Amino acid sequence: MLVADDERLMARVRARDTAAFEAIYDAHHRLVYGLAYRMLGQTAAAEDVTQNIFLKIWSTPELYVSGNFPGWLVRMTRNRCLDVLRSKSRGQSELPEQLPNEEPMEEHALASIDAANVRSALAQLPAEQRDPIEMGFFGGLTHDEIARRTGIPLGTIKTRIRTGLRRLRASLGQTVEV
Amino acid sequence: MNAHDEMLDNVAVYALGTLPAAQAQEVRAHLKTCTECRSEYAALAPAVQSLAYAAEACPDAASAAGSVAPPSAMLKKRIMRKVRPNVGEMRAVRPIVWPAYAVAAACLAIALGTGVIDISRSSQLQSETARNAALVHANAELSRAIADQKTQLADLVNPQSVHYPVTYGQVVRSGSRLYIAMDTLPAPPKGKVYQAWTLHDGASAMSPSITFVPADSGVEVQQIPGSAKGIVAVALSIEPAGGSKQPTSKPVFVVKLS
Repeated sequence: MLVADDERLMARVRARDTAAFEAIYDAHHRLVYGLAYRMLGQTAAAEDVTQNIFLKIWSTPELYVSGNFPGWLVRMTRNRCLDVLRSKSRGQSELPEQLPNEEPMEEHALASIDAANVRSALAQLPAEQRDPIEMGFFGGLTHDEIARRTGIPLGTIKTRIRTGLRRLRASLGQTVEV
Repeated sequence: MNAHDEMLDNVAVYALGTLPAAQAQEVRAHLKTCTECRSEYAALAPAVQSLAYAAEACPDAASAAGSVAPPSAMLKKRIMRKVRPNVGEMRAVRPIVWPAYAVAAACLAIALGTGVIDISRSSQLQSETARNAALVHANAELSRAIADQKTQLADLVNPQSVHYPVTYGQVVRSGSRLYIAMDTLPAPPKGKVYQAWTLHDGASAMSPSITFVPADSGVEVQQIPGSAKGIVAVALSIEPAGGSKQPTSKPVFVVKLS
């Protein structure tokens, strides 16, 4: 779905249009649910997060202002999952800060994101780069914790994350203004 | 590796959302002043976003390695039931709370009492079971909402909470939670909402937070989303519906949190 389509639909959601909300759900629920499932590992928990996110969109659509809607949705979903992980850990382990929101700098999104392409690009990364990226993004671990769990020096972990993200970015190609 | 190369690595880790809060704050402050690091962040942020698509649920999950099947159609029905106005009105009048065991017992009684299994009764039973399951879920949702309200109430009366008097009410900090608690807040002009703003330690500008319209009584309690850690000031202003990225009106109040 195009950015402009999302913006138009969200404008209608703000006007309490249930059909527009349903279209938003149909277009994006697989992204929200898939991410929640990957982070929490349980169907019921992932459904709870998905329901929570979409009801939040309906009850306070003004939280989304404009721009990269899927990016905003991913940020909300991951942050909600981190909250769930935090409540489970009861503060015993350090969890990272929520996914950053640097709106003025997030003026680009990938022109076309296809799940199969991303999975393939991720699979092509060397395991030494892919593993810390996945542990951080999906596992909700801080870079310190990744270093501790893998026994690899912290500086090396950070460099591998950066190199991996740059490779991923290169293999996924062009960006568009949003 | 020089210090700036190290910062570029930190920017990547920050974009991935895996830096602890204190270090994230340092990177955020650095990004405001360093063009090279800002470019690096702008280049990597879409790659981080794309990672979520690697987990996207796939209708033919069985044939797509590493993917997960989409949620059940019941999830959409549950959500749409809450969204459609007629259902919302029914819930507002009188939420029905059925204990889970009673629902289970009712289902069992229905199942045992149906001596003759014919297609129409079987279909009716399925429909009743689905409706009861939806009620159990609604019950759980209601319980969660009540638990949230209890936490809110406990925070507001907790003697260890810190209260900051402001125009029309107070701002209350309880541990990592922060509330705007208004008791006489007038309704905003038509087409406008109230919007909260937060200032994080080291930041040079306020960040937008929640928007809301108070109840007719002027009483309103809103929790600022996220952790209160690192927030050094809170403000409230009147903004156009949908909120603003920057305050566009003179604040109703600005309070520094000591």
